[in-house]
Amino acid sequence: MSTVPLVRRRDERIIAGVCAGLAAHLRLPLMWVRVAMAALAAVGGAGVVLYGFLWVTVPWESPDEQPLFRRALTKPAESGAASAGGASAHSTPVSEAMSSAVEPEASVPGSAAPKSAASNAAASNVDRPGRPLPAAPGRAASDPSATGEPETGRTRGRIPVAELLLGAGLLIAGVAFAMVQFGAQLHLEVVLPAIAVLAGVGLAWWQIADRDRPDRSALPRVLGALVLVAVGVLMFFVTAREPNTFTVITAALAVLAGVALAAAPWLLRLNRELIAERAGREREAERAEIAAHLHDSVLQTLAAIQQRSEPGSEVARLARGQERELRDWLFRAADGAPGPPGESLSVELRAHAAALERVHAVRFEIVSVGAEAAIAPAAILGSAREAMVNAARHAGGDVSVYVEWSPSQVTVDITDRGPGFDARSIPEGRMGVRESIVGRMQRSGGSAKIDAGPGGTGTAVRLVLPRASEGTENAHA
Amino acid sequence: MRMPEIRVVIVDDHQIFRTGLRAAIGDALEVVGEAATADEAITVVRDARPDVVLLDVHLPGGRGGGGAEVLHGIGRDPELARVRVLALSVSDAAEDVVSVIRAGARGYLTKASSGAEVVAAVERINGGDAVFSPRLAGFVLDAFGTGLGETATTDDELDRLSAREQEVMRMIARGYAYKEVAAELFLSVKTVETHVSNVLRKLQLSNRHELTAWALSRRLL
Repeated sequence: MSTVPLVRRRDERIIAGVCAGLAAHLRLPLMWVRVAMAALAAVGGAGVVLYGFLWVTVPWESPDEQPLFRRALTKPAESGAASAGGASAHSTPVSEAMSSAVEPEASVPGSAAPKSAASNAAASNVDRPGRPLPAAPGRAASDPSATGEPETGRTRGRIPVAELLLGAGLLIAGVAFAMVQFGAQLHLEVVLPAIAVLAGVGLAWWQIADRDRPDRSALPRVLGALVLVAVGVLMFFVTAREPNTFTVITAALAVLAGVALAAAPWLLRLNRELIAERAGREREAERAEIAAHLHDSVLQTLAAIQQRSEPGSEVARLARGQERELRDWLFRAADGAPGPPGESLSVELRAHAAALERVHAVRFEIVSVGAEAAIAPAAILGSAREAMVNAARHAGGDVSVYVEWSPSQVTVDITDRGPGFDARSIPEGRMGVRESIVGRMQRSGGSAKIDAGPGGTGTAVRLVLPRASEGTENAHA
Repeated sequence: MRMPEIRVVIVDDHQIFRTGLRAAIGDALEVVGEAATADEAITVVRDARPDVVLLDVHLPGGRGGGGAEVLHGIGRDPELARVRVLALSVSDAAEDVVSVIRAGARGYLTKASSGAEVVAAVERINGGDAVFSPRLAGFVLDAFGTGLGETATTDDELDRLSAREQEVMRMIARGYAYKEVAAELFLSVKTVETHVSNVLRKLQLSNRHELTAWALSRRLL
C-alpha cells in the first residue's frame, strides 16, 4: 500500500499546512478535514491541541533530495517501510500504556477534550485498510511520525520519544484543563515539577532530531535540559510537606537519574556519529581499492586499444574519452573531493578538450607550466577555446596545447598539424579567427599571433596576455 | 643496406599490454624477451642482453620499488651498462615518472602512444639520445622554475636550465619533433639532441628540491 507521506504542504496551507498534509495522507477531501478540525477546535479546544501537536511533530514537505551520504547510510525504501512498521509496533504498547494510565483520570464525566480527539483520530482513520483503529491520540500521533517521513530518515527505525512525550504532555494538559473546568482540585506543587521534568527530557531527546545540523550548538540545549530536569526533580522534594534524610537522599538519586536520562540522547548521538564515521572510512578504503583495481585493469586495456587502433579512428577516440573520464574519477577519488569545476585555465581547457574529442577526430595534449591563477582569465580562455575548436574542425589529429604562466604574462600555444592556412587570406566574414581570437585578445590588452605550425605544416596560434590585465578583464567579463 | 634490428625486452605486468605492444611495433624491432615482475625483468635483461628495455613504471614484485628498482638493478651490473631504458607509464603520476627518470631511464612515453611513436623513441634512445614526451618536457620546465624566470648562467649549473634548454623544452612541450625544433630555433638536430641530453642529465643529477616537492604536491596529468 502506498500512502502519501504525512508532511505539511506549503502549496495549500492556511496556517501551517497541517490540514492539507493530513488530507493528502488520509486521501480525504481537504474541506472535510478543515471542517472537522474547526469543529474539534470548537469542542473544548481539542482541535487546537491536535493541530498544535501535528504542527510541531510533522515536518515540512522537502522538495530537495536528502544528501548522498545519508541515503547510503539509511536503508532503501522497501526495508524502510518494514522498519517503520516495526517502529509503530514498538510504539503501540508505549502509547497504549500511556493512554491507559491516563484513562482513569480521563473517565471523569465530561472530559470532552481527549475523548473527542480520540474519536476524531479514529474517525479519520476509517478508510485506511489493514490498519487497526488507533486507541488514543498518542497512537494516532506516533503512527504518522513513524510511517510519515521516509524521505528524511530522521525518525525511522527508532521510537519517536520526543513526539510521544510531547503528545503525553499535551494530553495531560488537556485532561488537567478539563478537570479544572469541572471543579477538580489540582496540586500545582506536583504538576509544575512534572512539567519541568518532562520538558527537560523532551528537550534532550530533541537533539537527536537535530543531529544532522552540526552548525547548531547542542550545548545550550543540553544544559537547559539538565537544569530543567534537576530543578523539576528537586522541586518534588523541596516542596514536600516534611523534609527528612530519606527525602533528601531520594532527591539526590532522582536528580542523578534525571541527569542520566537527559544525557542519554547525547551519548546515543555520539555513538551514532562514531558508527557513521567508521562506515565512511570503510567506504573510502573500498573506493581506493576499486580505484587501484581499475587503474591496473581498465586503464591498461584502454591504453592498449588506443595503441592498436588507427590514430584518430572512432575506436581510438572512444577509448581516449573513456580513459579521460576514468582518470578524472580516479584522481578525484584519490584527492578525496571533486575539484571545483571551471576554475583554473588548465582545468577549463582540459574539459573543453574532452568535449571536442568526443565530437571530432582529434587528440589534445595539454601541458601546463608554472603557478596558475586560481581563476582563468576570461579573454585568453575564450580565445584558446576558439583556437581549439578550429584545430579540431579543420586539422584534427594530434593537437598540442601548451600553457605557461610567468609572473608577468600567461601564454597559450595551440599547435596542430593540419593543412594550415594563411592568416592574411581570411575573408572578412570569418568571425572565428578575426573576432573570437585576435579581436578578443587585443581588446583585453593581449595579443594573438597565427603562424605556420611545426616544419611548415599546420597552424600555430600563440596567445599572450599580460597578467596585469587579468583583473580588469575579469571585472567586466 | 638494412640496419640490424634493435633488440628490445618488454617489461609490463599486463599480458594484454605486452601482446598489444608486441603487435604494434611489428617487425620494426626484435622483441627478445618479456617479463612481468621486477625480479623477472632483471633476470630476463641479463640473459637476453637487449639494446633497449621498454619498462612499465608500475611493476609488482621485487621490494616494491616498481620500474625504478629494475633500473637500479640494471645500473648496478657493469655488463649491462649499454642497456638503455625507455619508461612507459599509464598513470602519469609525477613521482613515478621522476623516480624512473632519476633512476636512469633515458626517456618517458605514455602508454597511449602509437606503435610508430614507440618505435621512433626506441630508435632515438638506441642512438644515445633522450626521449621527452610533451608532458615530461612540461614537467621539467615546471620543476626547474621556468615560469619564475630562473635561468642558468653557466652550462654546468645543475639546478637550472639554460635559456636555450628552456627554448628546446618549450618546443617539445608544444608537440614539436626534434627536427622541427631545430628548424624553428635555427639549430642543427644534433644541437637539439645535445640540449635534450643535458636536460636529462640535470633531471637525473640535480638536487633541486622542487623535483620531489613538485611530484608530491601535484599530479602529472
